[in-house]
Amino acid sequence: MDPVTLAVVRGALDQITDEMDLHLIRAALSPIISETNDCAHGLYDAATGETIAQGGYGLPQFLANMQSTVIRVIAAAAAEGGFAEGDVWIVNDPYISGTHLNDVVLVSPVYVGGRPFALFANTGHWMDMGGSVPGGWAPSATEIHQEGIIIPPLRLCEAGRTNAALVRLITANVRLPQQLQGDLAAMLNVFAVGRRGLDALVAKYGEATLRACIDELLARSETQMRSYLAEIPDGTYAVEDWFDNDGVTDAPLKVRLALTVSGSDLHFDFTGTAPTTRGPMNISDGTTQSMCLVALKHVFPDVPVNGGAFRPARFTIPPGTILAAQYPSPVGGTTDVVQRVVDVVFAALAQAIPERVPAAPFGTTGVATVSGRHPETGATFVAVYPYPGGYGASRESDGLVNGTPPGSMAKFMSVEMSEHRYPLRFEHYAIRENSGGAGLHRGGCGSTYAITALGDCVVSILGDRVDHRPPGIEGGGPAAPNDVRLRLDGREWVPPLRSKAERVPLKAGDSVRLASPGGGGYGDPFARDLALVEQDLNAGLIDRATAETAYGAVVAEARAVGDRQIYRLDAAASEAQRRGRRIG
Amino acid sequence: MAGIVGIDVGGTFTDLYYSADGTTVDRVLKVPSTPDDPSRGLVDALAAAGIAPGAVDLILHGTTIATNAVIERKGARCALVTTKGFRDILELGRRDRQRMYGLTGVQHPLIPRADRFEVDERLDHQGRVVRPLDEDAVRALADVLAGLDVEAVVVALLHAYANPDHEERVRDILLSREPAWQVVTSASVVREYYEFERTSTAAVQGYLQPLVARYADNLSAKLTERGFRTQTLVMQSNGGLVPLAHLGSRAANIVRSGPAAGVMAAARLAAQAGFDNVITGDMGGTSYDVAVVVGGSPSVAETTELDFRVPLRLPMIDVHTIGAGGGSIAHLDRGGILQVGPESAGAVPGPACFGRGGTRPTVTDVNAVLARINAEHPIGLKHLDRLDIPAARRAIGDLGERLGLGVEETAEAILAIVNQRMAGRTRLLSVERGLDPRDFVLVAFGGAGPLHGAAIMREVGIRTMLIPPHPGVLCALGCAIADLRHDLSRTIERRAADLDAGTVASVLAEQRREGEARLVQSEARLVGTEVSHHAEMSYAGQIHTLRVPVEPGWGPERLVAAFHDAYRAEYGNTLGDIPVSVVSLKTAVLGRRAGTRPEAAREVAPSPARPSGRRPVYFGGWIDTAIYDRATLVPGATFTGPAILEQADTTTVIEPGMRARVDSFGNVLVEMA
Repeated sequence: MDPVTLAVVRGALDQITDEMDLHLIRAALSPIISETNDCAHGLYDAATGETIAQGGYGLPQFLANMQSTVIRVIAAAAAEGGFAEGDVWIVNDPYISGTHLNDVVLVSPVYVGGRPFALFANTGHWMDMGGSVPGGWAPSATEIHQEGIIIPPLRLCEAGRTNAALVRLITANVRLPQQLQGDLAAMLNVFAVGRRGLDALVAKYGEATLRACIDELLARSETQMRSYLAEIPDGTYAVEDWFDNDGVTDAPLKVRLALTVSGSDLHFDFTGTAPTTRGPMNISDGTTQSMCLVALKHVFPDVPVNGGAFRPARFTIPPGTILAAQYPSPVGGTTDVVQRVVDVVFAALAQAIPERVPAAPFGTTGVATVSGRHPETGATFVAVYPYPGGYGASRESDGLVNGTPPGSMAKFMSVEMSEHRYPLRFEHYAIRENSGGAGLHRGGCGSTYAITALGDCVVSILGDRVDHRPPGIEGGGPAAPNDVRLRLDGREWVPPLRSKAERVPLKAGDSVRLASPGGGGYGDPFARDLALVEQDLNAGLIDRATAETAYGAVVAEARAVGDRQIYRLDAAASEAQRRGRRIG
Repeated sequence: MAGIVGIDVGGTFTDLYYSADGTTVDRVLKVPSTPDDPSRGLVDALAAAGIAPGAVDLILHGTTIATNAVIERKGARCALVTTKGFRDILELGRRDRQRMYGLTGVQHPLIPRADRFEVDERLDHQGRVVRPLDEDAVRALADVLAGLDVEAVVVALLHAYANPDHEERVRDILLSREPAWQVVTSASVVREYYEFERTSTAAVQGYLQPLVARYADNLSAKLTERGFRTQTLVMQSNGGLVPLAHLGSRAANIVRSGPAAGVMAAARLAAQAGFDNVITGDMGGTSYDVAVVVGGSPSVAETTELDFRVPLRLPMIDVHTIGAGGGSIAHLDRGGILQVGPESAGAVPGPACFGRGGTRPTVTDVNAVLARINAEHPIGLKHLDRLDIPAARRAIGDLGERLGLGVEETAEAILAIVNQRMAGRTRLLSVERGLDPRDFVLVAFGGAGPLHGAAIMREVGIRTMLIPPHPGVLCALGCAIADLRHDLSRTIERRAADLDAGTVASVLAEQRREGEARLVQSEARLVGTEVSHHAEMSYAGQIHTLRVPVEPGWGPERLVAAFHDAYRAEYGNTLGDIPVSVVSLKTAVLGRRAGTRPEAAREVAPSPARPSGRRPVYFGGWIDTAIYDRATLVPGATFTGPAILEQADTTTVIEPGMRARVDSFGNVLVEMA
């Protein structure tokens, strides 16, 4: 294989899918697509469904989800006579395409010289798919029908003609039909953009060379991924972690992963994970697989995104568990469930290659949704605040504060913008002190915010990580757990399910205070540089008790400056205490 | 008119451009920068160019000191004062991370937490007082701050854009305690909502103000000492100028002014040559900067990330950067696939052919080995007479062995990859804006831009490339042709239907007065003033806004109609009856300097150019190639590729299958034959 052509073709394929991402982000009506890039585009092998290239602007959570969806749509199409030129298939059935009903996937074959060459596919988050609650997230859902309409894999376009009857059936069942039609048109148009790019590439290199390059590129990515995996010591690394509950029944849910590394092969075995729940804390197996690979990509970010990089991984995800939900389990809690998948992959890898893996991040998306009527305008509002939180520490550094979840890139709303839009006043938005796991490198602190209602409204919260804290690694300590408190009629109220609460009425003056977990610590806290302990103490990132107990520090002097205490540590006494307590 | 000097002080080189009468080009010069005291490099450049104080009417100046101080965290120690409950806004950002993949790494806020303080007060989004300012607490805080070694205090209170009273009161109390503090209030820097972005912008201003003010004083003193009594104007990142004396108070506005100056110059030269739609490609030692000019106006970014979680919410010319430059290193990834950059060999060790111990192959080594640059006349290097070609061949050969390719083939492969990366970024930039790059002219400049422009043009499908007369010092030229400019903005955040024409007109009139007053204060000689207004508007609920030109006197209906027009132009449709919001109103006040308006192009009779020599150059094989001396090319000269065009500040490659001609301004226009 000519190495120049190979490298250039790789760049050109990435360019095609990047341009597809940007086209949709610009053209979509759904603000979730245009503002948080909740979409993905890729090119897939027509026979195997393997990812050839995927755009770099879509969300991480779709990393491998797209491939598993395409594989299942290939099977569905084969059962109905296979693909034909000009076809586009549509699906949003989460047991097939992963995530939730709002993520609609289109798949379209691309033909070269009358033969199928590859498949283009894209996904975009549509604002509303019907169901019991606008926007689709129904915290009390006990079956998927409450979450919206299901579109099984169907031929949406045949020989270039869109099935108008099918589109009418869909739009008749959603709340924003015009917007949906706009987003559908935009997603269909993007295929033309992709095709132009691919046609130009075929014209330049010829079908045979291009095909050979693609095969070689997948093989090279596999080589690259295997070169990293081969450095992981062989063995089986088992971890257990928990969800507090499913939002309906107060019982913990186990996530169990046994990760086996042999040579450069990986086996993710989730046997022992809790069975599907009544409430919406479930995800499909495609999403579970994708999040395992997202976690790997966070650890080995250099590996390109294509099917070759996914080849070394095998999965056992027993059907009927919360990580392989089946009809009719609700899946609306996907944003929180996916976090734990990342957590257990990090924790398993940390046993094998602690020098490369960060400790657990905050581990909960903790979405708070406040809705009601604005007292000034009378208009209905829905305000959505997703949790920021601390990242875990690593050998490289302390953890970041106010991170976005590993599978997302979505941001937190500006406080001032929020107050312009909603009758809610922020009391604070701050670093949550003393919440990062202790360690040689400290976990990032969580975040805390409080909002007071200025009129009657209703709040729902979907979080987790109250009963089971984000753990540290290599001797690092756990982070502070999630903490949700409401103040109703002047009295503090903690929801019975701790961080999950549904449609709690708020009156003017009532408030909600949320404090997200930090990230886990890395390494022995007694090995942390005392100058950094003193700096953290004086910055208020840790308190005196933590400095003394967790870090073995001895305070030489404390003086008040304004309303703050400024500390000086006694280096010799601290070292002596650390030595003594290590022996003791 | 008398002479003008444009000087761009970059990280590596200080570039100078001198015109004795304001129109002709009389001197072009590149000297090493002096990062320990950048003002010295500037006066050195004046001396090296032999420019007498009497021959200069105006000095126009771009500088990287502000950019470097932020990136290297070398600004002033500042304290931050915020509303109670919000001192961490500066560090929190808006929930994100550095990269899409990889969760490690931390940030370094410009003002660390121990230096951030809170005062009890609260305004609502209309600027109404919810809790009054606790002035006793502010006085107590002033005593605490006096015990810290801070030079500047940044005051950033919630909703101060709607009502700056509390911020100003805090400022007055602090200044009465310690008049030496430089106090920056957020509303004085950005009159817009988004607390993180506004606080960050104010923090950048506070962080830079002492440093930039000292630099301005220092430079003034040095110029005066050498007899220059001329006015000095400094380039801002919005493409306009500000007087040196006001520089401290505009410190945040001069971040990344060098790249902005290059875009301004490129836009101006292209407009003069008859091209209004331009993509500018500036390639230097470590990076490739690309920007888009539509209808003669460079596109402007309202917010720019200077570093992770350091946004600057000031209008800046929208320049996108990737790590691809002459020093970019070629290597194989773990899959055995060839990659180029973003790692750079930097100034030390530099490319292998520079003879400073570099052993890894760079883009410059490739250009040397393929004889695209002249090994006998290295540009900008004082320490060697000729490039070390054997060292470059060794570096490339080592890599080639692992690929199974010869030296030339490997070199060409490296070129293909780096050109593809630049072409790809260029395409994405236009695609992001819904533009077809084939409708644009590429202006290639910077030390390395003209070496790669032909390939970028070919890859992107651009039909015409313009190489300016002095591409290596274009940023200095950009300073010399810019106008004075002030941008003012104010958050409105109301439904268009609820706004009356009087409110709109009074906000715009106030902005106009303020901008014009600043022009008067500048004491610059101006030949006119241009005022333009626009509104940032969106459908209610959208986060992204559109920039819509507006006029004083417009009421709700005109505003909404203008928004619909802009939306249709951008997206091809509108969203029907969804209400429209006016997020902010903005005014740009431009003070036009004499001689900054383009003159018209003249027709010139074509005549074949005469090569100054020939040498074998590698284009898929060694081809005997004509070499032209740029200094001898006259307007009308034509030649065809393959060709190499040599001049003091750069080298231009014309690929086989392309033809070139020199226009009446001395630009070389390259087209696909």
